[in-house]
Amino acid sequence: MATAYYEFYRGSSIGMALTDSLDELITNGSITPQLAMKVLQQFDKSLADTIVKQVKTKTNLKGHLHTYRLCDDVWTFIVKNASFKMESNEMVSTQKIKIIACKNGDAIESGKK
Amino acid sequence: MSFALPARQVTFGRSTHVPAQQQYQQSQPQPYSQQPQQANGLALPYASNPYLPGPSSLALPGPTPSALSYPSQPQPTQLQTQPQTQSQSPTLVGSSQSLAGPSTPGPSAVPATPAPLTLEQQHITAVEGIVPTLQNIVATVNLDCRLDLKTIALHARNAEYNPKRFAAVIMRIRDPKTTALIFASGKMVVTGAKSEDDSRLASRKYARIIQKLGFDAKFSEFKIQNIVGSCDVKFPIRLEGLAYSHGQFSSYEPELFPGLIYRMIKPKVVLLIFVSGKIVLTGAKVREEIYTAFNTIYTVLCEFRKP
Repeated sequence: MATAYYEFYRGSSIGMALTDSLDELITNGSITPQLAMKVLQQFDKSLADTIVKQVKTKTNLKGHLHTYRLCDDVWTFIVKNASFKMESNEMVSTQKIKIIACKNGDAIESGKK
Repeated sequence: MSFALPARQVTFGRSTHVPAQQQYQQSQPQPYSQQPQQANGLALPYASNPYLPGPSSLALPGPTPSALSYPSQPQPTQLQTQPQTQSQSPTLVGSSQSLAGPSTPGPSAVPATPAPLTLEQQHITAVEGIVPTLQNIVATVNLDCRLDLKTIALHARNAEYNPKRFAAVIMRIRDPKTTALIFASGKMVVTGAKSEDDSRLASRKYARIIQKLGFDAKFSEFKIQNIVGSCDVKFPIRLEGLAYSHGQFSSYEPELFPGLIYRMIKPKVVLLIFVSGKIVLTGAKVREEIYTAFNTIYTVLCEFRKP
């Protein structure tokens, strides 16, 4: 693993579930903490790759861009009165959404919070 | 075009106006000298800070010396332009009513102006009713303090910092809608403003943002570096003819760029002239240079009007 992967997917529900399970395994002595770290690193990598390569779902986002920031190759957007139009024509609206978009190697992926 | 050059008054409203008014202006800080104005620059409401030339404008390189003399009676062919001598003084009085000199006649003495003049038009004489609109103003400021750009990028809103591509933070504000390039040396470039006041106000806002992030930023050496204006003369132009007879100033390479590039010497302004009659004027340091350049080129363009 030459490039370091972002760890923010660990905060997603799937990442939280994994972390909880690993914790449990460590406490009852099934695995070592080192192995758990290794698993989490692999999780970071796999999720990043998967999102880039396999997720083809698209959504349209409309709203008022309140704030943006680019620092250290990470874009941050705060969009007010955002509405997402999913591919199934389903609409989801929210007052405010924060989008964090990162670069990963040569691929670009984005994570949403 | 028989009424070509000498007939046209290239005048800026106030600069040719009654001496009484000039005396009043002299008592004011000159709007265009940047330094003394700093203290109150932000506080001035727009209306009371007219971007008209101070007495210094008299030294402007005007195309005709007659611009400095009192306006003569307008020639009959000229009536289409603003009826200058008659109507201008009352409008000026109206714009600065509280300060009007005692010698100026009351507004009631003269019939109302044919069309309501915008603030801009009161200060300059529109040729055939055309006044170039300012499109962009570029100014520089020295904040006089080293800056850590990463801190700024991390904490300020609407900031971009990608040192691999450009060694400055790019920051934008919405009002006045402008963009600033902020360098680690503390120098800053502010672009996109549509008026001198906006440019200054925006620069101060950026300086304030930097201050709020904890830097000891000052607001010094504010200077307008470039003013861009544009307008439409509303008739097509024979660019080849213009390029040929004004070869000294013109460069016209339709295969490279569809407009004629006209480098005026006095005032030092570059004009992009298009067949359609649309004109872009750039390179001016003060707004009057744009107006003077347009008034100067307008007579030339009439000569090369497409039949």
